[in-house]
Amino acid sequence: MDELIYTLKQQIIEALNLEDMKPEDIDENASLFGEGLGLDSIDALELIVMMEKNYGIKLKDPTQGKEIFKSVAVMADFIAKNRTK
Amino acid sequence: MIVCVSHNIISPLGTTSAENYAAVKSGKSALRKYDGLWGLPEPFVASLLDRKAYADEKYTIDERIVIDSISIALKNTDIDATSKKVLFIISTTKGNVFLLDKNENGFPKERVRLGMMARQITKHFHNPNEPVVVSNACISGVCAQIEAMRYLESGEYDYVIVCGVDVQSAFIVSGFQSFKALSPDECKPFDANRQGLNLGDAAATIIYTKKDKVNENEWVACRGAIRNDANHISGPSRVGEGSFRALRIALGDLEPEKIAFINAHGTATSYNDEMESIAIERAGLSGVPVNSLKGYYGHTMGAAGVLETILSMQAVDDHNILGTRGFDTIGVTHPLDISNQNRATEKRAFIKLLSGFGGCNAALLMAKGGLQ
Amino acid sequence: MIKHQVYISSNEVLVDGNPLTHNEKGSALLTELYRNHIGDYPKFFKMDTLSKLGFIASELLLNTEGNRDFEPREDRAVIFFNRNASLQADTHYQSTIQNPENFFPSPAAFVYTLPNIVTGEIAIRNKYFGETSFMVIDDYDEKIIMKNLENAFQDPITKTIIGGWVDCSDEEHFEARIFLMEK
Repeated sequence: MDELIYTLKQQIIEALNLEDMKPEDIDENASLFGEGLGLDSIDALELIVMMEKNYGIKLKDPTQGKEIFKSVAVMADFIAKNRTK
Repeated sequence: MIVCVSHNIISPLGTTSAENYAAVKSGKSALRKYDGLWGLPEPFVASLLDRKAYADEKYTIDERIVIDSISIALKNTDIDATSKKVLFIISTTKGNVFLLDKNENGFPKERVRLGMMARQITKHFHNPNEPVVVSNACISGVCAQIEAMRYLESGEYDYVIVCGVDVQSAFIVSGFQSFKALSPDECKPFDANRQGLNLGDAAATIIYTKKDKVNENEWVACRGAIRNDANHISGPSRVGEGSFRALRIALGDLEPEKIAFINAHGTATSYNDEMESIAIERAGLSGVPVNSLKGYYGHTMGAAGVLETILSMQAVDDHNILGTRGFDTIGVTHPLDISNQNRATEKRAFIKLLSGFGGCNAALLMAKGGLQ
Repeated sequence: MIKHQVYISSNEVLVDGNPLTHNEKGSALLTELYRNHIGDYPKFFKMDTLSKLGFIASELLLNTEGNRDFEPREDRAVIFFNRNASLQADTHYQSTIQNPENFFPSPAAFVYTLPNIVTGEIAIRNKYFGETSFMVIDDYDEKIIMKNLENAFQDPITKTIIGGWVDCSDEEHFEARIFLMEK
C-alpha cells in the first residue's frame, strides 16, 4: 500500500501540474480539495481520467469522486480494491 | 439607433429564419442520439446538420453554412457586400478545429486559423475589409453583436454583418464528455432532473445598421454588456456575479414590466441554470418570464447568441414567449417564471443572456421600435 | 491614452520600452519571469502557453502601474487579439484523442481550447468584474486593434483597458504586445 500511495502522489503531481511539489510534500491523510492541496473541479475531472488511464477504473457517476478523492490514502484504498490494470 | 436590417438561421430545423421559428413554435427539435459517430466511444445527443448536404470541395462545412446564411440574409436587402463600408464579424468558438485531426486531409491546415477561415468568407463576398472573429467561448454570439453596435456607433461602417457559427466534431464532443457536461438524453433546461447539455450545429446571421429614426416594427439593439465573474475558468460564479452585472447594464433604466422575457443561456447543466436564476433575481427580474431554446437546438456555441436573438425577435413579432422544451419541474433555488408551453405576450422588448467558460457573461437588450 | 506597455517574445522582454534581463528563451523564459517577478500563483503551472504569456505580460504591466491592492473592480476591461486563437492548447488536446487505442480526453487540456480563457485568468487574478473579450484577426494590425479598443470605451463603466496582442503558435513561439490604456 505504501508503494501505491507513493506512486499515486507522483501521478497526481504529474497529472495536475503541481510544479514545485514532491511526493514527500503531500500528506496522504490531508484533504485533496479545499484546505489541503487546494485542488478544484477541473483537477477532480482530471483525476477521474488519470484513474481510468493508469488503473482502468471508470467512474460512472462523477459525483462518486467526492468520496474517493477525500485524501490520497482513501484514493489508494479505492484503487487497490477496484483496479483492472 | 442600431437597427436589425435582416437575418437568417441555418440549422437542422431549417434554412431560413421563418422555417426555424415555425419549427420551434410547433415544438420540433433536431436532438437525436448518436452512438459510435466519429469513432467516439460514448454515445451522445446532439442536433446535427446532414454533413453530405453541405459537402463542398472549396469550403469546409463551417464556411459553407456561413456563406449560405449570409447570402440568404443579404438577399432581400440592397446592401453592397463589396463595399468597404461593410464589415464582417464572425462569431465562433472552434471554427474548423476538426482540421487538426491527422486523418483530415481535405483542406489546407492553415484554415484551422479562425482569421483564415473568416477570410474565405469575405473573399467569397469580395469584401475588402479584414474580418474580425469574436472568440469568447459560449458568449461569442452576443459579444459579436455588441462589437457590431460599437463599430456602427463610431460611424466607421454603414453595415455590419454578424454571423455566428459552430459545427460539432469529435474534438468538441469528447471535450464536453471529459467535463461530464453532456446529458445522456435530451436536455432539460432549469429542470429538477437536468443532467447536462446537448451540442448543436448552426450558423446564424444578423445584419445591423445605424439609423436616426426607426419605425415601430424595426428591431433596435439598445444596449449590451460583457462582464466577468472573476471566479473560475470553467465553473460559473455561485452568486451570478458577471451575469448579474451584465443584466443590470442591459436593463438600465427600463422598467422590468416592459420586458416580454429573458431568453436565458439555459444550457441545462446544474451550475449554469442555478447561476442564472441567482443573477436574474439579483437584477430584480424575477417577475419577468424566462425561457431557454437549448431543447430545440442544443448548445450551438458561437452561433447561439445570434440564433437565439433572431428567434426571440420573431417570437415578440408573433406576440409569443417560446416554451422551454425539456422543462418540467423547476430545479433552481431562485424562483423563475418559466414554462414548457408557448405563452402570449404584448410586450415589445427582451433580454438575451449568455455565459461561458473563462467566467464571461453577456446580456443584450433588444426592443421593437426602440425604447420609447 | 497608453499609460504602460509590455512586450514579450520568445527571446526579448521590454517593459515600457526598457529591456528586462533574463537568461532563458521560449517556454523556459515564461517560467523564469514567473519565478523572478511573480512567484505566488502556482496556478500558473496549470495554464496553457497563451494564458501563461498573457498572465505574465499582465503581471509585468500591473507591477509597473503599482498600487496592486487586488480590490474588486468593474471599470477595467481585458481585451486581447491574436492570430492563432488557442492553437497550442488545441493541438495538445487533439493529442489526447488522436489515437483510438490511447483515447483519454483531458478536461484540463480542453478547458484551455478557448482563447478567451487567458482574459478570464487575468480577471480572476485581479478580481476584475469588467468586460473580458478575445478577438482573432489573421495578421497583426495595430489600426484594427486600436480602433476596437477605443470603441470598447463605449461601455458605460469601462475606464481602463488591459489590451493588445497575445499570440502563440506553440509552446516555444509567442509574442505579446499589451498595454494599459486610459479613456
